[in-house]
Amino acid sequence: MDFRTELILPEIYQTIVVLLLFICSIIDNKRNLAVTRWIPWLAFIGIPLTLVSIDCEGDLFLNAYRIDLLSQFFKFSVAVGFFAAVLNATRQPTLEHGRQSDYFMFLALSALGLMFLASAVELITIYLAMEMASYSLYSLIPLRAQERQAAEAGIKYILFGAAVTAIALYGLSYIVASQHTTYIKDLALCEWSWAKSPMAVIGLTLFLAGFFYKLALFPFHFWAPDVYQGSSNETATYVSTLPKLGAVAILIRLTSMLKPGAEIVSILAVLAAISMTYGNLAALAQRDVKRILGYSTVAHAGYVLVGLVALTREGFAAAGFYVLTYVLMNLTCFWVVCRVAADGRNLDLEDLNGLHSRAPGLALVLAVGAFALVGLPPTGGFMGKLFLLTAAWDHGYNWLIILAAVNTAISMYYYLSMVIHAYTKDQTEAALPIQNEPKFSLVWGGALAVSVLALGVIPAPVFNMAMKAAGTIMP
Amino acid sequence: MNPLTLYQLVAIMLLALGLFGLIWRRTLIGMLICIELLLNGAGLSLVAAGQLTKASAVLGQLGTLLIMGLAAAEATLVLAIVVIVVRRFQTSDSEAVSELKG
Repeated sequence: MDFRTELILPEIYQTIVVLLLFICSIIDNKRNLAVTRWIPWLAFIGIPLTLVSIDCEGDLFLNAYRIDLLSQFFKFSVAVGFFAAVLNATRQPTLEHGRQSDYFMFLALSALGLMFLASAVELITIYLAMEMASYSLYSLIPLRAQERQAAEAGIKYILFGAAVTAIALYGLSYIVASQHTTYIKDLALCEWSWAKSPMAVIGLTLFLAGFFYKLALFPFHFWAPDVYQGSSNETATYVSTLPKLGAVAILIRLTSMLKPGAEIVSILAVLAAISMTYGNLAALAQRDVKRILGYSTVAHAGYVLVGLVALTREGFAAAGFYVLTYVLMNLTCFWVVCRVAADGRNLDLEDLNGLHSRAPGLALVLAVGAFALVGLPPTGGFMGKLFLLTAAWDHGYNWLIILAAVNTAISMYYYLSMVIHAYTKDQTEAALPIQNEPKFSLVWGGALAVSVLALGVIPAPVFNMAMKAAGTIMP
Repeated sequence: MNPLTLYQLVAIMLLALGLFGLIWRRTLIGMLICIELLLNGAGLSLVAAGQLTKASAVLGQLGTLLIMGLAAAEATLVLAIVVIVVRRFQTSDSEAVSELKG
């Protein structure tokens, strides 16, 4: 083991941020530390630090922790997403005063867990990193002052989350019983077919279920709409974006050890198909904007899996690229939702009426986010879907790709209905006042929208990086 | 029947009991107890898998210790959230705590 500091620089930095916030949360009751003023800067410094260590490579901690381009790609994505989520959460109308340091501490701790998840290559380490990321999320959900639904969402999320984790651990024990190792490197050499080792197949399927829950993939999607609706807009922003990065990183590593034609791949394909169809159809009937975005998460989990079932380097790269794009476009949409809901309430579609006259800039940002989620050019969503579908074509799952294309058409209805409400409907009498910081909300909302457009216009640098990252596990 | 299968059957029984209870229990605390059954069943299965196969026994034992530790942390967290639920709903009955509709 060669321990060099620059290998885990992003993690060390994130740990320091967490500890700093922990100290603040202890002394914050007595004096006002104005956490919201400096925490976005700290989060921003994390982004260049992940770039410093991007070319590093090495194994740490008895080979349980691997630094390679794949892990660094996801750490970079986590850092970018963390910065946007923190910036978004600095103005929280529904957070009790004096809870800011606690809130950001859990947010940072969760991001740290996701960074660990990106690098973990041993099943028990993966389990620990996943729990670190999720426990902090569990405690974030009820932090919406005096809201009954937030408490309900919190208890549902943790109880079902714990049950699914337990099931994943049963899977882990079956993998150990039949393959005798927990290192992904060694597991990749084992047989994963039903005929040779049925117990290992059951075990891996159950173990993957833990990540399906994080990804909100059918049949583990039921928490997503409830949690998004119940938690505050800012918390929902985080829950709907960053944990997907960690889950996809692990799914890429775990599916890369399968051979084409393995039964588990068929299971993944079927789940992807049901997930995107169900998510899109359920979203059609929703009026609450956050529930719409909740079901859209379920559908997008299905799209990402399309890239994984191909089991090719292009497929894994496309999945990595798509999940980064998805995080950015969802952050864009939620940015507008958080700004429009100035008092922190849940938005109905009608609340978006007349947004183009109240806040033309925000309406444009929302339009970019919605077009990207549909997958229309020239946004990142289009390029992401294009990479996914072309990479997966001709690897035995063409029916899935056709279904994904049909689903994109279905999803157009509810994403565009957000834009229609914002642009063509007249303002209702009781329209909400917009949060009165036009410059702040426009600059950063615009930056998010521009990044989504940039991924669509010049996707090559990021996609090439994803391609090289996928090359580290699948030459 | 070899010992490993026996242990795994006991673990699956705990899984069945836990899932059954999770669905049928009416109180949040009861549901927490069922979660503990599930997690400990998984621990039993893991430690048996480590001990009774070629896999390293230490691996199974350490994994189970971690599961136990994290289960304790999880229980603390669940109880804290239950306190919040009871404050806001004045009950811990899981039927009453269902305003969101899946």
